[in-house]
Amino acid sequence: MSDSVARRAVYTAIGVLILAMMLFPVYWMVNASLQPSGNTLTAGFLPLDPTFAGYRRALSEQGHNLVTSVIIATGTVVLCLLISAPCAYALSQFRSRWVSIGLLAILVSQMIPGIVIANALYTAYEKIGLLNSIPGLILANCSSGIPFAILILRSFMLSLPASLVEAARVDGAGLVRAFVAIVLPISKNSLITAGLFTFLFSWSDFLFALTLTTKGGVRPVTLGIYQYLGTQVQNWNAVMATAVLSAIPAIVLLIAAQKYIAAGALGGAVK
Amino acid sequence: MIGNRIAAALAGVTALSLALAGCGDSGNKSSSSGQSVTSLSILDYYNNDPDKALVQKGLDSCASKLGITIKRETVPGDTLIAKVLQQASSKTLPDVLMLDNPDVQQIAATGALAPLNDLGLNADGVIQGMVDATSYQGKLYGLAPVTNTIALFYNKTMLADAGVQPPKTWDELKAAAKKLTKPGRYGMAFNANATYEGSWQFLPAMWTNGGDETDLKSPQVAEALQLWVDLVKSGSASKSVINWTQGDVKDQFVAGKAAMMVNGPWQIPALAKAPNVKWDVVTFPLNKPDQTPVAPLGGEAWTVPLNKDQAKQQKAADFVKCLNSDENELAWAKARFTLPTKTALLDQYAQEVPSMKAFAEQVKTARARTGKLGDKWPDAAKVIYQAIQLALTGKASAQDAFKQASG
Amino acid sequence: MVHAPTLTPSTEESGPQPVRKARLRRRRGEELTKVLFVAPAALAMLALFGYPVVKNLLMSVQDYTLRTFFTGQAPWVGLRNYTTVVKDHLFSQAMVNTALFTIGSIAFQFGIGLALALFFRRRFPLGGVLRSLLLLPWLLPLIVSSATWRSILEQDSGILNRTLMGLGIVNDPVPWLNSPSVALIAVIGVNIWIGIPFNVTLLYSGLAEIPVELYEAGQLDGATGWRGFRYITWPNLRAVASVLLVLGVVYTIKVLDIILGLTGGGPANATQTLATQSYQRSFVDFKFGQGAALSNILIAVSLVFAILYLRTTRRAVDE
Repeated sequence: MSDSVARRAVYTAIGVLILAMMLFPVYWMVNASLQPSGNTLTAGFLPLDPTFAGYRRALSEQGHNLVTSVIIATGTVVLCLLISAPCAYALSQFRSRWVSIGLLAILVSQMIPGIVIANALYTAYEKIGLLNSIPGLILANCSSGIPFAILILRSFMLSLPASLVEAARVDGAGLVRAFVAIVLPISKNSLITAGLFTFLFSWSDFLFALTLTTKGGVRPVTLGIYQYLGTQVQNWNAVMATAVLSAIPAIVLLIAAQKYIAAGALGGAVK
Repeated sequence: MIGNRIAAALAGVTALSLALAGCGDSGNKSSSSGQSVTSLSILDYYNNDPDKALVQKGLDSCASKLGITIKRETVPGDTLIAKVLQQASSKTLPDVLMLDNPDVQQIAATGALAPLNDLGLNADGVIQGMVDATSYQGKLYGLAPVTNTIALFYNKTMLADAGVQPPKTWDELKAAAKKLTKPGRYGMAFNANATYEGSWQFLPAMWTNGGDETDLKSPQVAEALQLWVDLVKSGSASKSVINWTQGDVKDQFVAGKAAMMVNGPWQIPALAKAPNVKWDVVTFPLNKPDQTPVAPLGGEAWTVPLNKDQAKQQKAADFVKCLNSDENELAWAKARFTLPTKTALLDQYAQEVPSMKAFAEQVKTARARTGKLGDKWPDAAKVIYQAIQLALTGKASAQDAFKQASG
Repeated sequence: MVHAPTLTPSTEESGPQPVRKARLRRRRGEELTKVLFVAPAALAMLALFGYPVVKNLLMSVQDYTLRTFFTGQAPWVGLRNYTTVVKDHLFSQAMVNTALFTIGSIAFQFGIGLALALFFRRRFPLGGVLRSLLLLPWLLPLIVSSATWRSILEQDSGILNRTLMGLGIVNDPVPWLNSPSVALIAVIGVNIWIGIPFNVTLLYSGLAEIPVELYEAGQLDGATGWRGFRYITWPNLRAVASVLLVLGVVYTIKVLDIILGLTGGGPANATQTLATQSYQRSFVDFKFGQGAALSNILIAVSLVFAILYLRTTRRAVDE
């Protein structure tokens, strides 16, 4: 924790190196997005003769889809955390034989192939009029988000000192108040981590978007990108450009969230 | 919304009462709800431009001719069947459904489609291969306005530089491919991946040589596979062909990394975007000079899912008929580098669009994949691509590959 | 499992007896509150999964084909779908591939993830931003990342072979996706790449939760470096690590898009797993009953890990 400045600089250098290796494929995608052909068959290491045609096209055609993606992913995070946090707390602190059964059920739910869930939801949505709607997609994305968030939050809440809540209870606080006033603030860090991945799951969803929409109105980017991937003709240049463009607002969101994680970690240490 | 539901409930009650009244008066039914059809829903997989917009034009013109509006949904190609199944199970199939021609029989076999003969449509003048593809048990279930097939594209500059003529036989093909192979470039490119696409690209060689999907263990089929093996083993084609899609093959060709390729006319717009690549097309080479080239038929058919609403079903059939008018066939063929399916239109078309000449020739003798095996074709197609994979990775000889793959 | 002295904050502290009795009445009302904590999640789970779970089980004992979707009729066939898929000549290979794919992916994802998480726990300039950027691959649609990887791994023109040969590490291009003996390794490699950010982020959060006081106390007992990891870090990370591992298994075992995007199960079935086989039986062969049978076999395998997980966490709570 008390490393010297020189040592910390070395760490930064190592970190950059690790990142460069991990993100090379991402760079290669950017490279491809700047090639007229959209592929790197004849490309050098650097795009020396870049074309921005793909970006122009993506910007003019995918903006609306990008907004849809952000709304759906954010909505999923909010809904999932609202539903999962109390449940995770219950599963970590309450003593009951139902806990194991509940956990097993949650795990089993994640083993079901996505397409089976999507097909079932299609039939149900068709009847209740949730097709082609943002709430419908948010709810569908919760099928991966809620179980994930419950499991992750629970594993963090297991190490919650029970004495903390007990103390508040002695002071006369109800279960709900103790949860809201004490448990949630302490769990900020893990809430953000769970939220982060719920966001990412939802962001990368293609299956539900495809299954549960039947017309153009509501269309996340993952589906929008397919307007460049035809059955016979593919426009990889625009595909790659869309992927790059859509990653930018998302990564900004993630970095902002990361700042909160840092803050959350500090808050946790102070306790 | 609510209006729709009431209408649906009423329709349900009507259907029920008719069923109770007995089944003698079917004539009454169609006339009773006669003129009220104002819109049709359509599902297809032309999900990207330029095809999406070009197809839309044809759909719009037929819609205005019939005085209706259309609600069109497009999905990515490889997700169409899954979508159709969902809609089938929730009884929400569209009024007009586009299907890839080898899928028509399979879907027809489920009883989901309306026989078009009963709705006043026929396939007169349509090339036999396409009629085979869109018929099931003697009834017509779909009509394809345009079709396509595959042939041999070659890079004119590269062949001229190497002093090579476009190959007419397999021996010439192998010799040419070898001569055209240089560091950083292969003589030949094709798709042999582990999907139906890989089987489809193999069919010109297999069928031309007299091979048949009803007997995949025959020496003619093995010979055709040996051609693929020879091209890869000799280094005239990349080992990566086992992973390439037809799009990848086109990319290799455009990048100058392949001098010849097996591909279809839908790649022509992309080739046109690379003006420095001068190319031409010939029919796929023959093993022996006395053979006739036989290529597989591609293209999509428009079908009418069964509909309780007789009037709507009839309107949908009329719509499909309109899509298959001479006028629309030629319009779509010209705009999308496809071929009309009526024999009478083919010659005229080849004259007007010279770059399609080789394909127009191939199409006349072309066969449908489902022509012989019908809805059992997918099983054979699977054996074909598995065998190709085994042979090209050296896991089996061309002779044994088909036996192993079907075992 | 571990009986070494560990420094864990106590997780279970029930109040003394008299206090409990005094609270008895309030408890009754609280039972209801407790139910309310779980109810929304339970309802959501039931709504989202109740039908699909039953459906998947039913499908696997029916002759569920294309026709079924249109007519709704699926004849009962008992366990015949299961015997058909198990007897298939590809089944044992798919099973082995699934095991290799899952074990290989998880071992490296978790190992590398833990190493990186420990590394990023050190405070250094830009550390936080770099760690966030690590998540970038997760923002790319899978269709795009698998296409990019295919071009990187391409035997003749791929940048990986160009680099390896340029550096003189290999003499001949490596047939990453073209050889049946290499393709599975390449596919596992790509899956590891995708899984690392997930592991790093969760393990990092787990590490951040360990109270600094424990390390301070540990330092007095000489628990630093490896011993610090062994006796402080790992025991405290175990709850997070075990949920991460079980989720890793559940998610990895059913990976489909990546394999389909890279090799489609080829070359020559070298990368067929239970998941790709299940997909192909359902959506290529349209034998949905058999596809469901295969996916239920997958679920049964996952279930073993889920039960293992439950046993270890229960023990962790009881400690």
